[in-house]
Amino acid sequence: MKKIGIYPGCCFQGADEHNYDIIVAFLDNMGLGNVLLDRAACCGGGVIDETNKKIVYGLNARNIALAEKEGVDLYTPCNTCYMIIAKTKLALDSDPELKDAVNKILADEGLEYKGEAKIYHTLNLIRDFVGLDEYKKRIKRQISGVKIAPYYGCHVLAPNEVAVDDPEDPTILREILEPLGVEIIEGYQNETTCCGYHAGFTSPGQKERLAIKPLEGAKEAGADIVATPCPLCHKAMDGYEEPILQVTQLINVACGMTPEETHIHINKTEVKLSL
Amino acid sequence: MEKIKYTVKIKRYNPEEDRSYWQDFEVEVEDSLTVLELLMHIKDKMDSTLTFRAFCRSAICGSCAMVINNRAGLACKIQAKDKIKRGVIKIEPLKTLKPVRDLVVDQEPAFDKLKKIKPYLEADPKIVPDNTKVESLVLPEEFARYDKQTDCILCMACYGQCNAIEGNPEYSGPFQLTKVFRFVMDTRDGMDIQERIKLAEDNGIWDCVQCQMCFAACPKGIASCEDILELRRVAKDTGEDNVATRRAKFWFETVFATGQIDKFNLPAVALNDEKGEEIRNNLAKEFTQRGISQEHFVPQPFENIKDFQKFIKKVEKEL
Repeated sequence: MKKIGIYPGCCFQGADEHNYDIIVAFLDNMGLGNVLLDRAACCGGGVIDETNKKIVYGLNARNIALAEKEGVDLYTPCNTCYMIIAKTKLALDSDPELKDAVNKILADEGLEYKGEAKIYHTLNLIRDFVGLDEYKKRIKRQISGVKIAPYYGCHVLAPNEVAVDDPEDPTILREILEPLGVEIIEGYQNETTCCGYHAGFTSPGQKERLAIKPLEGAKEAGADIVATPCPLCHKAMDGYEEPILQVTQLINVACGMTPEETHIHINKTEVKLSL
Repeated sequence: MEKIKYTVKIKRYNPEEDRSYWQDFEVEVEDSLTVLELLMHIKDKMDSTLTFRAFCRSAICGSCAMVINNRAGLACKIQAKDKIKRGVIKIEPLKTLKPVRDLVVDQEPAFDKLKKIKPYLEADPKIVPDNTKVESLVLPEEFARYDKQTDCILCMACYGQCNAIEGNPEYSGPFQLTKVFRFVMDTRDGMDIQERIKLAEDNGIWDCVQCQMCFAACPKGIASCEDILELRRVAKDTGEDNVATRRAKFWFETVFATGQIDKFNLPAVALNDEKGEEIRNNLAKEFTQRGISQEHFVPQPFENIKDFQKFIKKVEKEL
């Protein structure tokens, strides 16, 4: 059985603990084994930079090194964790001096950043690690009669260097949702507008104004549900009129789980799925 | 050189009618054209009314920023061939500025915001000599701190892709904040750092959503989003106490203590008011209802956390 390393970010913690169950079930449904990288630390969240940017490199070199020690690639469902870890990998792989300097410090913990482990997010995990054909084989039932608006969020498409698909014409989310039997609504107003999650503390009004925009666009275009791969976008955009779910929740349902088993009932905005 | 056929979909604007509309141009052109050359071809051979701004054709003057396939960039720097998606290239004016005609936008509001942040050096008399006979030296390592940021050509590609402006039209903008960063880092600048930071805070650094789109758009590879984080760091390190600086401090402290951010206590600590307390109390209620045990309210240190802490200290000192 192929195995993947689960990177535990803050999206698995406290009020968001259920996200861990969602992705463990998802990996199980994909026929993948997993190793929890339980000594991995926060990716920095775009906040530790405000203390010292070098720490962000250190943290994520160490996170990747932990996966390499286990002999697995690293997987996170979070767009932001993915972007920050992938950006660190890019920096380390293109700067031998930085890599050497980090490795000197990592050696104290018996770790080494080799640059072998790949960084996966749900979208490229399905396409490149599971494979789309195998993915389709694992879908057991169709979620029919529901119109879904795909919402990528920002950090899987920017910066371009770490984007999981062509940032100008991404298709991966559609390719993942279509086999679930749902109708896809694309090209809606504010489809690419940021959910505002990261302004939640620094400018709450800014977050509110942004979070609602893609939801309103999707609703106007006739979508019943917005589907995002990112647990942070989900958290930022849940609670308004138009419901939002994580793609992995929909996949789990299509693989035979009940909506409750994959925590769809926890949503602030109620979601009805016809099965 | 090979000729290729494709559709150029251009979002045009007619000011007389105050109307935006899409127009398709079917072209058969050499595969070596830049997007700017493609627009020139359309203007020369197909529709002389097509209006766009351009000058140097060398990615220096910054005139021809526009949105190509939903991403802002310089038309003169981008090969048209690489942008054909399913037979089509989509070209629009920058999204956050009002069009004047077709692809030309009114840049004035963005320049006004630039003027507001005082984008010039206020010479520090202790460093900059009072006569022109003596050079004002900047060491290479000092210049390295803002070398990249001086590459900005004010093309406004970042501004045209900025999500923060989408949420707050008064937001000062990515290249404007990069300019603040550039002067904060300049050893010759005599303006009080706190004054510079204040200029960056007015509809500025705290409204940024860290979406990375400015970095993705910049033809010079400048990451304004990272400059903004640096400005937030400077605000914190120069003693500012607000929800964001308290968040940043607490974030690092709890990651250092346990490896993870303590999201349970974060709102109470960052907001530092009754609302923060209320959020914490509500979280506690929600956790209890959902059967989450008290020890899972906050992250617990992972095994051998002391080794991790030694690692972080060393990274701070040696990296």
